[in-house]
Amino acid sequence: MAKTTRRTFLKGAAAAGTIAALGGKAPFYKRAHADSRKYITYLQTEPLTSSWDVSSHTILAQIYFEHHVFGKLIQTPMTENNPEQINFDLATGHKIIDEKTIEYTLRDDVYFHAGQKFGPEDVKATFEYASDPQRPAGTWYPGQAEVEIVDSRTVRVRAAKGAYPGSLFWFLSGFLPIMSADDIKNKAIGERPNGTGYYKFVSREGPTTKLVAYDKYHLGKAPIEEYISTFVGDANTRLLSLLNGEADLIERIEPEQYETLLKEKVTVARTISTENKYLHFRGHRKPFDDVRVRHAACHAINRDLLLEIMGPAGHKSVGQLSPVKFGYTDTIAGTPEYDPDRCQQLLAEAGYPKGEGMPEIEYLTSVGFYPKTKEYGELIAVMLQEQGFPVKLTVMEVAAWLDRVFDTKGPTAPQLADTGWMTGSPEPNLVVRPMWHSAGSILSNCSSPELDAAIDKQQTISDPAARKASIQTELMPALAKQMPSFGLFTSVLIHAHNNALKGLYIYPNGPMDLSKASWSA
Amino acid sequence: MAFVLTFLLRRLAQGIVVVFLVSFLIFALLRLIPGDPVRIMLGTNVSEVTLEQKAQELGLRDPIPVQYANYIYDLVRGDLGQSYLLGESGGAAPTAQNKQGGQITAEAELAREAEIKTARAPVLKLIGDGLPFTLQLAGLGLLFTFLVALPLGLSGGLKPERWQAKLAFFTGSLFISLPNFWLALVLILLISSKANLLPSIGYKGFAYTILPAIVLAVELAPVIIRGLSVSVAGSMQQGFVDGGIVRGLPWSRIVWRHVVRNASIPMLNLFGVQIGGLLLGGVFVTEYIFDYPGIGKLTIQAVLQRDFPIIQGVAILAAGVLVLVNILVDLIATYIDRRLKY
Repeated sequence: MAKTTRRTFLKGAAAAGTIAALGGKAPFYKRAHADSRKYITYLQTEPLTSSWDVSSHTILAQIYFEHHVFGKLIQTPMTENNPEQINFDLATGHKIIDEKTIEYTLRDDVYFHAGQKFGPEDVKATFEYASDPQRPAGTWYPGQAEVEIVDSRTVRVRAAKGAYPGSLFWFLSGFLPIMSADDIKNKAIGERPNGTGYYKFVSREGPTTKLVAYDKYHLGKAPIEEYISTFVGDANTRLLSLLNGEADLIERIEPEQYETLLKEKVTVARTISTENKYLHFRGHRKPFDDVRVRHAACHAINRDLLLEIMGPAGHKSVGQLSPVKFGYTDTIAGTPEYDPDRCQQLLAEAGYPKGEGMPEIEYLTSVGFYPKTKEYGELIAVMLQEQGFPVKLTVMEVAAWLDRVFDTKGPTAPQLADTGWMTGSPEPNLVVRPMWHSAGSILSNCSSPELDAAIDKQQTISDPAARKASIQTELMPALAKQMPSFGLFTSVLIHAHNNALKGLYIYPNGPMDLSKASWSA
Repeated sequence: MAFVLTFLLRRLAQGIVVVFLVSFLIFALLRLIPGDPVRIMLGTNVSEVTLEQKAQELGLRDPIPVQYANYIYDLVRGDLGQSYLLGESGGAAPTAQNKQGGQITAEAELAREAEIKTARAPVLKLIGDGLPFTLQLAGLGLLFTFLVALPLGLSGGLKPERWQAKLAFFTGSLFISLPNFWLALVLILLISSKANLLPSIGYKGFAYTILPAIVLAVELAPVIIRGLSVSVAGSMQQGFVDGGIVRGLPWSRIVWRHVVRNASIPMLNLFGVQIGGLLLGGVFVTEYIFDYPGIGKLTIQAVLQRDFPIIQGVAILAAGVLVLVNILVDLIATYIDRRLKY
């Protein structure tokens, strides 16, 4: 894209105006895709709003950007067939040393974009800095990590503080972009992004970010030379940009746009995400302080109908974890299914026969962020009302909704709230701890000592296989029994791109791996 | 001359009060409606402690009168504040914490304040960057509006019983029933995606202004067509038209020197009051849909992200522009009709 200054802008406007006035057929229009074989244009849904410091935010758009620029010790592609798959990136191997320690061996041929050679001191600086609970993104990690440098190619990550095992970093290492120790020491990490990824940062002008392929990328230079991403807020604008060739790749296709796109000469990709959508119960207010009422509400909701509304943007799943998460199982004892009779039975047992005597229930949802929340929210409200729940649906735009949805303690907090929870790792603790452990409870506040114990137990098990068994046979049934949040379905990410673009991989939390992407003839 | 000076002084003084009131209303309302900019800045997964820390850093937890007094203090010195979210280049603003030994030292805190203060984009710069684009769009939109509306409105007013009046009426009715966002999408699909005649999304040259300007013109034209038709038809009923005919004046002179001149006063007022608002509103929606990098897109994004300083800056600018346009309109009206001097 040519750089536009006010001078060139005014000159161009005057010249073009003259040509237009003379009746010339817009000679200045050139379809963008005609010369796009050297670059890729991606339209993002959210703007980059935070610092370049990867630990300064928990913003999805920023995480997507970081995937191109920063390397990680491992990558976790989280495929549905093998959620536990690990691809080594800056590390060449890992092993659990003891309950508190995990060891990584590191590559010796990696350089940061600013020229520093990657080494164990970078891993130490990054882990210790980013896992600091005082960092805004410190909430991703179970506690402060300490890193011991064993030799020039070996580090040991130790869960020094807090009651959690080192093995939790087995997956979490795939979520932490490695920063340069020099940058952290010199407080330069917020000034520019300096990673080891396949693209390096060039510029940022307005909503547009430009990256170029990094010559020294340790897994081979990316075939597409340039990456240009622009924030475009409107979903229709993004779609039309793809259709008219001004964009090569777009995200968050709305379900109603999906069928339209299938008829066009573009590729549409569905990816089962790490995000489940939930109906969160707030147990500090009646009637959901009673677990029987929570279960009654679950039995009142026919999730198959919700999936009909979601169409291509929804995927059937069981329980609270996405199928691409470590520990997912579709056989969970005690999972409530649609059963109006059982719903009525439970309501009567709880002292609300047919909903009589139940206080008004506010159900809070959003519009403009997740697809179809208003539509399926209306359906859920109707299904609950049919069983006697006096539900009032409140639909709010995103900023206002964000203001209320995290209120889980106030006297006017909504008793029901709809959210998703997208995380960038197969690690289930990124979901279960903040949401359902009494120490977190950020969206639901129906924890119990039994549930806390199940959450704590699985995270202290070092052996991955034993831990998986604990999650599937103890934690998930405990969640089904306590039911702090009802898992409605798993979100599906829908991307669309130019047919000629081949070889990209879309991660289930949204980032795209373009390191092998190329333009076909 | 004395009249003009008195008029300007009086109206400008009134205008300053209006702008001041608008700024306070917008400032207070933004802080009363739900929506915390800090959560949008840092993401949904950060802890409440971090959120509060950042909010206090930005002064968002001070009482509203204190916040407003600080804002006005900066405003009178020409500082509209800095975006919460956009950096100097329009990109990311730093939110990093400089720490030493696990504790934020006073020195580090000051350095961090300075870093944040300098790296966040000044609202004045953001508005300055977007304004030329918006002016270009508004200018081209008005040009297209006048190209369509003046012939239709004039001919409809001059021939109230003929097909010209019907054409003006039906065109106005058709245009006013087309929602601007719908028309924008249809034009992008047909003109840009299917026919490949014009580009549409973003801005890489003047051609990117044409489709949004057409949308704007379709929104504005009905008001001008209808207003002009009615105004001209009304003037045609006046005695001075018959007088001109009796005096043997050429028809074109009667129309341009007398009818149009008399009809232009209500049109000027309409332009000042309605078109200003329509133009601003239309530009906002149109820019957002076409991803056109003007003030409208900047504002809509700021509203969605609760970027208070940008919203406040644009509101003050918009109020100032509307006040000035109306002062100008009133001044021109007094030149057209001396009886309006007051």
